[in-house]
Amino acid sequence: MTPRAVHRAATASVIGGAALLFATLVLPVGALVLRGGLDGLRQLGVDRELQQALALTGMAATTATLVTVLLGTPLAYLLARDRIPGGALVSALVDLPLLIPHPVAGIALLLAFGRASPAGAALSRVGMSVVGSPLGIGLAMLFVAAPLYVSAARESIARVDERYEAVARTLGDAPWTAVRRVTLPLASRGLSSAAVVMWARAVSEFGAIVILTYNPKVASVLSYDRFTAYGLDAALPVAAVLVILALVPLLTLRSLRAGAAPVERAP
Amino acid sequence: MIARGLGAKAGSFVLDDVTFELPDGAWGIVLGPTGSGKTTLLETVAGVRRAIAGCLMLRGQDVTHTPAEARRVGMVYQHSYLFPHLTVDENVRYGAADAGAARAISKRFGADALRDRRVASLSGGERQVVALARALAPRPDILLLDEPFAALDARRRTHIRRELRQLQREQGITVLHVTHDLAEAGTLGDLAMVLERGRLIQVGTPTAIFRHPASGSVAEFLGAENVFSGTIAAPRDAMGGDADVLSFIGEGVALIGVGERGAGPGHAVIRGLDIVLARAHAGPTSARNVLDGVVDEVTADGMLSRVAVRIGQATLVAVVTQSSAHDLALAAGVPVVATIKATAVHLC
Repeated sequence: MTPRAVHRAATASVIGGAALLFATLVLPVGALVLRGGLDGLRQLGVDRELQQALALTGMAATTATLVTVLLGTPLAYLLARDRIPGGALVSALVDLPLLIPHPVAGIALLLAFGRASPAGAALSRVGMSVVGSPLGIGLAMLFVAAPLYVSAARESIARVDERYEAVARTLGDAPWTAVRRVTLPLASRGLSSAAVVMWARAVSEFGAIVILTYNPKVASVLSYDRFTAYGLDAALPVAAVLVILALVPLLTLRSLRAGAAPVERAP
Repeated sequence: MIARGLGAKAGSFVLDDVTFELPDGAWGIVLGPTGSGKTTLLETVAGVRRAIAGCLMLRGQDVTHTPAEARRVGMVYQHSYLFPHLTVDENVRYGAADAGAARAISKRFGADALRDRRVASLSGGERQVVALARALAPRPDILLLDEPFAALDARRRTHIRRELRQLQREQGITVLHVTHDLAEAGTLGDLAMVLERGRLIQVGTPTAIFRHPASGSVAEFLGAENVFSGTIAAPRDAMGGDADVLSFIGEGVALIGVGERGAGPGHAVIRGLDIVLARAHAGPTSARNVLDGVVDEVTADGMLSRVAVRIGQATLVAVVTQSSAHDLALAAGVPVVATIKATAVHLC
């Protein structure tokens, strides 16, 4: 075999492998959208339960994401800069929810925040509950999706050379001011991407939510509910609409990454 | 700027027991091989790296535990670290209380013409100029420079150095400047210090350090052409009473030199420019070292020629003008006599 023929064969196998994986990922989603997309979009205008489920899903995912950004960014910073003793252990613990099967995550949340737990009892006293409430939905979304944000945010902040902060401090900034004025803006694209990934993951959550809060229904639970009650044809439009709406954050994420500028680092 | 027993850590690297005094308004040079702790020292002085031992005084005040933002110290790294999300003008004004003063500094160093540009569009040299203007705009008392001129072309480097020297004198800024450029060190420095493996091993005027390096490794770092390892003999054994004149034997060379070091293992350091070459002995001479050898190689080095002379098992490198090399017809295999005064052989 000549070197040119070897190169051609290698190129063909690379392209073939990539195409196979792409098809595996796209075909099921394509089939779903093709079969239920039009019906789903049509139902979106008239199906009040679907509208409510989508609104609840969006609101809970957005709230969970905002809370995570607010609390998770400082945690990601401290982990990225090795400012926490035992940072590797803390990182592993933060990532742990990613490894837990989602129904098990729901059970764990029920144990920690259910009415029988001290935290649940404390919430009850102020008239709140994580079972059967939007709070439970948000909590389940946060539990399963926040590790994605913290992990990506940590990497994004770690990519910003600490010497930018050092320079800002010699120019008069207090430590946290330097972080706010320099590090966070330089990491902003990565942080935005992390938030979008988290939001998308929260929107698609089912296992943990269904344990904590079957009603009110989010879109994923509604789709499951209609499948079990009325069969595939009833579930398809809901699932297809969810997929179509999930494209929005993914396209946003891609455009953010495409525009990302490299940050200067010392060798 | 006074450092006493100053220590700091950077990962596994330790800066240890650094002690020096740099008068207010003086220009200090920090020399040392890569990884010797120069940048760590600057960062510790700036306050962006915590001192783990000793104390640091700036302007007569103990600032060992003072945060960086309160030290009135400007810093320029070798890589500019301009904030890429800001324009050049926003970078220069970042720490300046007085926008007018920032603009004046910007104009003085030629950064004003770049003021509306994005950082990403600047060349390496332009970035360094802007970084320098940014560090000077808040009118710091102390300026820390970590090889800031490395990315500048020769013409701009000369201009920036001159302007900076003038500004430093006008405003009485104390400068601590890391450089590998020995000519720059000699031109700018009032005081020089040499770091090696995290320890300060020599402090003095640049001339004194160049002429009398504290060790063989310092001499090699400072570009001495000839550094021999061997044994220094006791003064009385060598010269019968002349306190600082010593004998040296090592690497197949026997030399008479001067130094303050006692008997024992040591180094002989000879600058190539201090060696006189001749084609034959010229009769009695006051020079204490007259060595017969054979030219190994002659290489051109700008206006000069570096002549490697084999003397026994050792090689001595002399630096002569190209015209001298031509007049003496120096070439490989030509026998020569190398003459070196005892005062040109530094024993350390």
